[in-house]
Amino acid sequence: MTNKSRTVAMQIADALSSCGVQLVASLPDNWLMDVIQTIEQDDRFVHVPVNREESAIGLCSGAYMGAMGSAALMGASGFMTVIYAMTKINYTYEIPMFLMATLRGALGDHHKHHLSNGLYLLRVLDAINMRYQIIDKSEDIGLIARCYEHTRTFTRPMVVLFTRDLLRGGH
Amino acid sequence: MNYLECFRAIARHRTNEIVITSAGNSSQAWWEVTRDSNGSFYLDASMSLSTMFASGLALAQPELKIWAFMGDGAFAMNPGMLMVERQMNLPNLTHFLVSNRVYGATSNASLPNLEKNDYAAMARAMGLERVFEFRSIEALEHDFSLLNGGNAPGHTFVVLEVEPFSDKEQKLEQPPFDGPELKFRFGRHIERLTGADIFGYRI
Repeated sequence: MTNKSRTVAMQIADALSSCGVQLVASLPDNWLMDVIQTIEQDDRFVHVPVNREESAIGLCSGAYMGAMGSAALMGASGFMTVIYAMTKINYTYEIPMFLMATLRGALGDHHKHHLSNGLYLLRVLDAINMRYQIIDKSEDIGLIARCYEHTRTFTRPMVVLFTRDLLRGGH
Repeated sequence: MNYLECFRAIARHRTNEIVITSAGNSSQAWWEVTRDSNGSFYLDASMSLSTMFASGLALAQPELKIWAFMGDGAFAMNPGMLMVERQMNLPNLTHFLVSNRVYGATSNASLPNLEKNDYAAMARAMGLERVFEFRSIEALEHDFSLLNGGNAPGHTFVVLEVEPFSDKEQKLEQPPFDGPELKFRFGRHIERLTGADIFGYRI
């Protein structure tokens, strides 16, 4: 963990806490490991590592019905697997859902196997009329609170997409 | 045991439990035997996530007792959910796995490996300790108090071996609610029970 990535992870954790998020359900992505580790060690959160991304959708949706703030944290590939769960649970019942994912396949990604995420992730979001916010620099981490509030105001899911430059500092 | 008779027996033992049902026959059956329109969330629009939904609720409101139903068709899609349930080990959550060995919501289509699947053994292999299996109404009635103990030390997993719906039962009414109506009826019920503020405003 570099000083910069540790600072970014702490800023993300602080932003989540400021929204009233208590539950964070996660699956790993290498870019997210500092964020996950920071949340795991932060007493403000109950961190639940889940078996698959859809489980995070179920868990966070149920937490909402119990008045607990929550967020789901995952990689872009995992996000691509939750379209069914979100469009069924969160669209059908109008249950808000806040997600954070990696913007894989974009400029700066070193992994060729994320080609499909680069091609289709944003187009899939557009196809299901789901709002997203790309966060590329630490000065914009405060947007997490606005996005979280948007999910509650409009009772819709929304995803914040973190770039590699934000999470890994271009390393 | 007969699916509906099993659900009637469980409903007779219900006091103040909150219920989450799954896509398919469990929603039809629970609606048929209870007509509950407040304390039950019929999570029809979901395959395999009813117990995860219930876990989130149980975590958020630990004073509530939550029953979650799931068919073995849904279970087959996401058995790893038991790893998460065991990890959370919520004492106020009971997972009823309704095993009819078919995809009940899709005309009783066959499940993979249907004769050999041992759901209780799978649960124990994932470290669950409070695991029960019932194959008759008599056994269920006799031992139900063991499931529902108020001071259970952890998460409870119950396998109910039932017969698939008959052709006539397949025609039972589905819970009739639009999604948002179900959300608000259920959520307002939770708010009344707990004082929690789910929607941010009161009528």
